[in-house]
Amino acid sequence: MADWVLKGLRTGIKSTAYPQRPEKASGVSPGRPIGTSLGSAKRAETLAELCPTGAIIRDGRNVTVDFGRCVHCYRCHPNEGDEAVSWDLSYEWAADRDQLAAAKRKLDRAFGRSLYLRFVDAGACGACVSEARQLNNPYYNMHRLGFFTTPTPRNADVLLVAGPVSDAMRIPLRQTYEAMPTPKRVVAIGACALFGGVFGPSFVASGGAAEIIPVDVEVPGCPPPPLAILHALLVVVERKPPTPLASLPSAQSREMA
Amino acid sequence: MSITTQLFALFFVLCGSGAVAAFILPTRWNPISLAVFGTLTALVLLAAGGLLLLGDAEFHAELWPVLSLGVMTLAADRLSALFLFVAGLVFLPVAIFSGSYLVKYLCHYSLRYFNFLYFALFASIVLVLLAGDALSFLVSWEFVSIVSYLLVNFEYKREESSQAAFVMLAMSEAGTIAVAIAFLLVAVAAGSMEFGALRSAAPSLSATMAGAVFLLSFFGFAVKAGLVPVNSWLPLAHPVAPTNVSALLSAVIVNLGIYGIVRFNLDLVPATTSRPGLIVLVIGSVSALIGILYATVESEMKRLLAHSTIENMGIVAAGIGAAMIFLATGHQIVASIALIAATYHLANHSVYKALLFLGTGAVEAGAHTRDLDRLGGIARVMPWTSVFFLIGVMAIAALPPLNGFVSEWLTLQTVLRSVLLSSTPVKIVFAISGAMLALTAGLAVTCFVKVFAMGFLGLARSEGAANAAEVRIGMRTPLALLAAACILLGLLPTYVIPILDRSVMPLTHESATAALVPPFFSLAAQGQEAIPPKFLAEFHDLGAQVGEGLLPGRGLVVLHRGEEHNPVIFAMSTSYMFVALTGILALTFVVFRLATRGRTLARRAVWAGGLRRLWPGITYTATGFSNPVRVIFGAVLHPAAGEDSTEAVAQHFRTAITRDQVEAHIVDRLVLDPPVSGLRWLAAIVRRMHVGNVNAYAAYVLVALLLVLIIGAGIF
Amino acid sequence: MAVLDQVTNANVAEPLPKLCRKLWKGKVAATLDDDGRICRLTCRADYLVQVCQWLMRDLGFAFATLVVEELASAGLSLVYVFYRDAPSPWAYLELQLDAGMTQVPSISGLVHGPSADWHEREAEDLFGLTFEGHPRLGEFVLHEDWPEGVNPMRRSFDARRRKGRELDITWEPPTVVVAPGAFAMPIGPVFSDFAESAHFLLETVGEDVIRTIPRFFYKYRGVEKIAEGKPVDRVLLLAERFSGTAAFAHGLAFCQAIEAIYGIDVPPRALALRTAFAELERLRHHAAVITGICNSTALAVATAQAALIEETLLRLSCDVSRHRYLFGLVIPGGVSRDINNEDWEHLVTAIGALAERLRDLHQMLRYSSSFLDRLEEVGIVSTEQAITYGLVGPVARASGVARDMRKLFPYANYADIDFAVPVEQEGDGYARLRVLFHETEQSASIIRRALLSLPEGPVDAPHASRHAGVALAVVEAPLGAAFHWLRVNEDGTVARYRITPPSFTNWHGFHLAAENFAFQDFPIILASFGLSNAECDR
Repeated sequence: MADWVLKGLRTGIKSTAYPQRPEKASGVSPGRPIGTSLGSAKRAETLAELCPTGAIIRDGRNVTVDFGRCVHCYRCHPNEGDEAVSWDLSYEWAADRDQLAAAKRKLDRAFGRSLYLRFVDAGACGACVSEARQLNNPYYNMHRLGFFTTPTPRNADVLLVAGPVSDAMRIPLRQTYEAMPTPKRVVAIGACALFGGVFGPSFVASGGAAEIIPVDVEVPGCPPPPLAILHALLVVVERKPPTPLASLPSAQSREMA
Repeated sequence: MSITTQLFALFFVLCGSGAVAAFILPTRWNPISLAVFGTLTALVLLAAGGLLLLGDAEFHAELWPVLSLGVMTLAADRLSALFLFVAGLVFLPVAIFSGSYLVKYLCHYSLRYFNFLYFALFASIVLVLLAGDALSFLVSWEFVSIVSYLLVNFEYKREESSQAAFVMLAMSEAGTIAVAIAFLLVAVAAGSMEFGALRSAAPSLSATMAGAVFLLSFFGFAVKAGLVPVNSWLPLAHPVAPTNVSALLSAVIVNLGIYGIVRFNLDLVPATTSRPGLIVLVIGSVSALIGILYATVESEMKRLLAHSTIENMGIVAAGIGAAMIFLATGHQIVASIALIAATYHLANHSVYKALLFLGTGAVEAGAHTRDLDRLGGIARVMPWTSVFFLIGVMAIAALPPLNGFVSEWLTLQTVLRSVLLSSTPVKIVFAISGAMLALTAGLAVTCFVKVFAMGFLGLARSEGAANAAEVRIGMRTPLALLAAACILLGLLPTYVIPILDRSVMPLTHESATAALVPPFFSLAAQGQEAIPPKFLAEFHDLGAQVGEGLLPGRGLVVLHRGEEHNPVIFAMSTSYMFVALTGILALTFVVFRLATRGRTLARRAVWAGGLRRLWPGITYTATGFSNPVRVIFGAVLHPAAGEDSTEAVAQHFRTAITRDQVEAHIVDRLVLDPPVSGLRWLAAIVRRMHVGNVNAYAAYVLVALLLVLIIGAGIF
Repeated sequence: MAVLDQVTNANVAEPLPKLCRKLWKGKVAATLDDDGRICRLTCRADYLVQVCQWLMRDLGFAFATLVVEELASAGLSLVYVFYRDAPSPWAYLELQLDAGMTQVPSISGLVHGPSADWHEREAEDLFGLTFEGHPRLGEFVLHEDWPEGVNPMRRSFDARRRKGRELDITWEPPTVVVAPGAFAMPIGPVFSDFAESAHFLLETVGEDVIRTIPRFFYKYRGVEKIAEGKPVDRVLLLAERFSGTAAFAHGLAFCQAIEAIYGIDVPPRALALRTAFAELERLRHHAAVITGICNSTALAVATAQAALIEETLLRLSCDVSRHRYLFGLVIPGGVSRDINNEDWEHLVTAIGALAERLRDLHQMLRYSSSFLDRLEEVGIVSTEQAITYGLVGPVARASGVARDMRKLFPYANYADIDFAVPVEQEGDGYARLRVLFHETEQSASIIRRALLSLPEGPVDAPHASRHAGVALAVVEAPLGAAFHWLRVNEDGTVARYRITPPSFTNWHGFHLAAENFAFQDFPIILASFGLSNAECDR
């Protein structure tokens, strides 16, 4: 046993400095397309047609990106330098679904540094589950931020949902949500939970978690990296602001900022 | 005639009337007549016993002389009075309960016969307790054995009933024989059968004779009391007997065994060394442990309660054994405390065991099954039964502030008092017994949590339990009475202890009242034994003077102070505990209500991991709950795997997997099986003499005759 | 540790069609394809069971998958696919049912029948077939609220519409254990912690699990049905994403099927890169399973060490391919992106360092007796059971079945790279752990060899031809053999896509390991298998 103790001590502290300081390591995020000015309507049209889920929308000579629909197929961004959409490697992707009323916000602040999560896999492919699992590894270490998991929904504050909500998981998801006492928040993780992903609304899958339970925070991505999920939790407890899902071309966004 | 004699005479007359009325009245009135006459007889007995116990009355009656063996006498001292009172306390609710319970036998068995046997049993039990000489004792003892056998075998049409009752009868008779020989040995030395004569002749017995007498009487009475190693009849007889008879068995008849032990080995032929006491102590502790172990892994309610009776009788026997040791080594006060603990536990056990058995009868009537694996969820539809049963469960699990807690506490305190003794081996035995008793207490909690949780809470596991209904008032009233008795005996130990003390004082010649419940609040303290000021100061330091001036007499704290060189104070007050508990609960309730005033309360279904709904097949069963105990104590329980089989279609689709486990009781395995197989072996050898040839038999006769002649000629 | 060396000559003296003609004159027709890879047998339903018995018991074939198709203007057609653990052609046993006929004899009753059991149950639910001799065990893929008689994989069923559901149905599976006080302990479908959804009923009398009743398809998303009628590039997304942790392997299988149908030649550089990326995924997947095993035994420092390795591999994958799980990397004809020199060096050095860390971890775990106590002789699957149930992947290799698709049916670059396939014999949790560790070593070595001998050239082959066709592609996914059957139409849309993932095969054998062990061992046995529900449920 002493060996393990020494091994642990020798490995040192690996936790990321996020949210105090941004994470600069490479490989923490697959990045995402952002709205770009392309200068030609035809190029914008071609680019928009490349996207299989309709995340890239032509807007005159520019393209805007509805990031909630991106599944990271990279068809719009095969290699750098091509006539591709602009790319950014951020990871703070969580978005507010509705305008949360001030009264509800007060409750969120009350959670402070002690938030209990309950995760429900409603038909997710292993990637979202795996990314959520990384939250417990020494790099992300969500315990230092006061986030913990609980096996029972009775003690949970936040419900994390991944997956398009397959048929057989509708009732279990609904039951989990109802078993949680108020105040409670729902965070939908991944493109499937936002709109059904590539599995879409079908005869056995719904079009996202919002069809079954009310969703408060959405995290787009396929799958969203662990830092994006952390960002979502920080949004729930009001320690970080949310990021809008729609991304306008940089010129316009500079105008609006 | 003194009032007690009148009351006893009235008692016997009522018993006779009850028996006669059974035959005169139409059959369907029999349950009611039993209830009425049973209640009357019990009340009369309570009156008589109460007068003897609490007052200064006395009872002595001489009956007719028998041949040359002496005069049959009936006499009651305070010890008998205690047992009489307890018997009356149990017979009363049982009689009321029988009024409703016996209805189920109306068409199948003869209730006239039952009534007759009931009153015969009552009368013979009282006779045993009143017996003043060995002859009347033995005769009434035999009556009790036979009548209880007949009652246990009431459902004689069932095969298992006859077998179990037969085992009970056989063991009873064996015990009676041992007891009879013991009595006779002492009577031969005394020259008379009267108890007084036996008492005075006791010191003149030689050491070996005294030892033999002790062993014979103790093991003879232990059969009736249900102590290891002669307890095999108990778990067999209880499940087959009608439930009210089971209650009487466990709550009154086993008391007779204890009465016999106390009467014979503490009163008539007291021990002079600590060896007999050690034997009793060890047997008591081992019985307690084995009893509760088998109770914990049992899932049929009556058999479970039967094993629990063995456990409780073990605790009582341990207290008696401790008393014998303390008496033999000269610590009379502590011996008194030990006997008080033992008799308190006896009384408590009678009350809560009767409550649990009658509760089982109510459950059986309401939910149609006694198997814990098939019950469940009846607390909602049988609320009264559940509440009373719960009180019984908390009492038997020795939870404060009920009566079981008080007597267990007292028993463990006496075991701790073994520091007074000088002999180290004896102290080691005490320590081991103490550990066994502590383990027993822990297992008892497990066992009865299982009983209540699996039996009453959760989901119904069978049709019967799903369609359960509350029982009639006739069945609920006796439960309420017994529950009230449990609560009173628990909350007012300071009033019970002096009564018990007066009963046991003749045996130990020292009163322990002052040592356990000093009269702090007695306004006439000046006239009483002076309380050392240091003791008073310590008492005040404990804060126990609360209620001074308000509470009468001895207050509500049971307190014992150690010796000079070991001045430790043991103190306990169930009444204050009760007040504190209710206070805390009430306070929490009020605070909770105030704090959640504006909030809404939502009720949701049980969280089942996402399953749509729970069904009974996926909830824990009683067997599953107690399986860890079965696994841990596997060496003792020694389950032998029976038939394990798997049926399958096409090898791969299994349709049935059978797991069978056979458990033989450890006592049967270690104590009964060897002699039985030895006997069989012997018989097999003797069988070889049966050659089948008439000439050979003629030769045997000739040889036997020759032997007799030779021996006869040799002697004379 | 036994190693599967170059497979020597198999024990088939005569080619399969000739044997067939000798034994089954007139009843079974057998033809060998032009390239000798596939032997097609056709027979009538009455002889189905006997022929399968002959193939499996006498000739040693293993059952791979059952493909049911509803071709236009005809009844259902069933193809039973068999393969052998030795160089030998595939055996496709083809059975054509008449229109309207739905009865087929079941082969689950045979000695090696369990490998076909779940395939038949799935076909029952999705196509409405009735397999005679198979005890109808009830709902399998479609749970109890699905209306009776509606089979989603039939052509007549519209995948876009949701059917009405019956709401108040209870599910109470038949319990099999007969013992006093027996009950069933439910686990799931919502598990504690971050776990995938499935349901287990453990029949027990208190301490030991006597029988497990697993229930999957809580995550059934109907991938096979949704794929029908969609263009190939859209179905590629489905193939990658139905099981995110093995995305590259399944995507690769799909692309290989397309390449087989359209006759596309993948350039050598793409083949080598495919090998490297597939092994990178295998390394990361095994690191995740090792983390899961350490976590289930509550050995905190080991869990943290393994999790660090897993995260490093995820970041490494993201560095070289932009995505942590290698999504969007494999395309029909090659890979979607090349690797530049900087990334190449980064990958080679990083893999060496990671292999070293894994070796250290393995060494330390080997001497942690409290850890080994929980794994050794727990969750045992015997060799015979592994063969009967047709298990694949590390689970089978830990039980002595040396079956690896990279050696049997080499794809990508594997035929040119020398590597070993670790095999253990005990079949317990510790054997599976050892197999995982040894496979990570081998993966690291394969990546280095593939990268060090990386040929120059393009990384994809453009293709424009479009014609109808059908192919079966097989890859060794991290969890075992994955079989992808693909039929495309003239216009480039998918007609039938049948996936048999390794988790589907191995979950069926899971109950063998979990039975007769205590409750506390259950999560550890679960973790030592490391299977994926998303992959099984599709």
